[in-house]
Amino acid sequence: MSSTHESAYPVHHVGHHFNNASDEFEAAKQGMWVFLVTEILMFGGLFVAYGIFRGMYPEMYVEAHHALQMKMGALNTIVLITSSLTMALAVSATQRGKKQRAIGMMAATIFLACCFLVVKYFEYSHKFHEGLLPGAFYSNTEITNPKAPLFFSLYFMMTGLHGIHVLIGIGLISWMILRSLRNEFSENFYTPVELVGFYWHFVDIVWIYLFPLLYLVS
Amino acid sequence: MSNNDHSNHPHHNQDHSHHHIVSTKTALTVAGSLFFLTVLTVVVSRVDLGVWNFPVAMLVATVKALLVMMFFMDLIHDAPENSVIFGAGFLFLVIFFILTASDLFFRGNVYVKAGTPLVATSGRSSLKNPWISTPELVSHGKELFSQNCVTCHGPEGLGNGVAAAGYNPPPRNFHSQTGWINGRKPSNIFKTLKEGIPGSGMASFGTLPIDDRWALAAYVVSLNSERPASDTQEDVAKIGYDLKTGLAAGGARQEEKTIPIEFAIERMAVAEPAPAHGALGANERGFTSVGGQLYQARCAQCHGEHGEGGVRVRSLGGMPKAYITTAPLLANRESLKSADAFNHVVENGLTGREMPGSADLSGGELSELYTHVKWLAGQLH
Repeated sequence: MSSTHESAYPVHHVGHHFNNASDEFEAAKQGMWVFLVTEILMFGGLFVAYGIFRGMYPEMYVEAHHALQMKMGALNTIVLITSSLTMALAVSATQRGKKQRAIGMMAATIFLACCFLVVKYFEYSHKFHEGLLPGAFYSNTEITNPKAPLFFSLYFMMTGLHGIHVLIGIGLISWMILRSLRNEFSENFYTPVELVGFYWHFVDIVWIYLFPLLYLVS
Repeated sequence: MSNNDHSNHPHHNQDHSHHHIVSTKTALTVAGSLFFLTVLTVVVSRVDLGVWNFPVAMLVATVKALLVMMFFMDLIHDAPENSVIFGAGFLFLVIFFILTASDLFFRGNVYVKAGTPLVATSGRSSLKNPWISTPELVSHGKELFSQNCVTCHGPEGLGNGVAAAGYNPPPRNFHSQTGWINGRKPSNIFKTLKEGIPGSGMASFGTLPIDDRWALAAYVVSLNSERPASDTQEDVAKIGYDLKTGLAAGGARQEEKTIPIEFAIERMAVAEPAPAHGALGANERGFTSVGGQLYQARCAQCHGEHGEGGVRVRSLGGMPKAYITTAPLLANRESLKSADAFNHVVENGLTGREMPGSADLSGGELSELYTHVKWLAGQLH
């Protein structure tokens, strides 16, 4: 993957510490799974905090969640699932050596990720406007429960951390498009695209849980 | 990956021929199922399934997550150890949640251990049929009532005690005939005393001796102009009372539970309000001054006789073992820095805390009370 290597199809070289390409691929993939476990645990702290406080203040969660716009949350769920679909199709296309199709699917994934962030932007500005902010910044007076700021602390921490992952995902997929344009991938080498795909699907899984937890409290 | 010596790397091509490629058809089917499940979870959330709404929503989310993992991330064709690795992540998350939740929800039980009971309870009733009211039982119950219940339920049991304003739902009015969560029979009240009412301010009084609880039940029943039906043997058996041995619900094991020594001392202090206040020494001011008398009548039940706090004023909803306790009345509190701040808190209470307002005090009384509380705060160090 050097820029000085100017052949039409740059060839990926197996690291000298691997026996063969297959070993290298499996090791890289396993490393990605281990990384995703650390991601589960990073989000896990917030999910546990959410669960504990929901156990302590169930009525507060019900009252506070009405301030969230369920339709926007549902729309974003559909958008993110569609982006997972396009990413899965991008990985398949790369594996089959269909470069144009792969790049198109990755571009579609980035477009959908941006749609997600635009919807999120409208939701966030609505919260800012209503004073539905975390902890000490909370200034809303319509919600009567005094513990409500806690819900919005969790809301912003959870969706914020998720949003950062969406941004990183956009960066990673852009990088994959760039490398694809440089002909770095083929049906023989596509490890980075597949692993970025894993990352993107993980971001989708987190949202799949965030949506009912934050928007559908009953 | 260096570019300087390709000859060292003979494997220019990778062999991915065994790798499974997700077909477009599979990907579209999975996405379609995910759309359907998203619509389903929204629709289901609009239907009232009671306690099942949450588990159903989580089940649907988990099915969706599994679809993504199995097909989009293609775990079903991946090496099995990768499923184990990823699954372990979720397993650790579950362990994390269970340990944290068990600490929070059962923290009170840490202090409950078998051994010599601090509060003497034999777990066995000394009476023949304790659910049948007798004048002795009622009068003993009345005495216990004035020690344990009046703060919230009021001296006449009208649900209007000094701490009543801080509770939602409000404390039960024992003169009403409707809305009794566990029922009005002596056995029902015994059950409430034993277990408390989760989600309300009613804490468990399971540490009271078993006959004391029957006495309280008899007294509470006696307050109501309309007597409930008598307890049948089935009613008594239903709360786990053994008719042959007189063992109470849950057996003697339940009754052997002990409570923390601080709490036991506090209980006894409440039970015997005589001016025997050890560590701080008897001080006349506490009981003879106007402020001192007001304090004893209005504040001491929750803030402690000497403003030391630590009194359990609310059991947290759904968790009868966790409590909110009052803090000591230390001089550095904002509300003790000026008479105006003090008067404001006393007159209006503190919203969202357990502090009720007392708007009926005159300016002179407020001033006396302020002087007394300042004096108490000065004694606490």
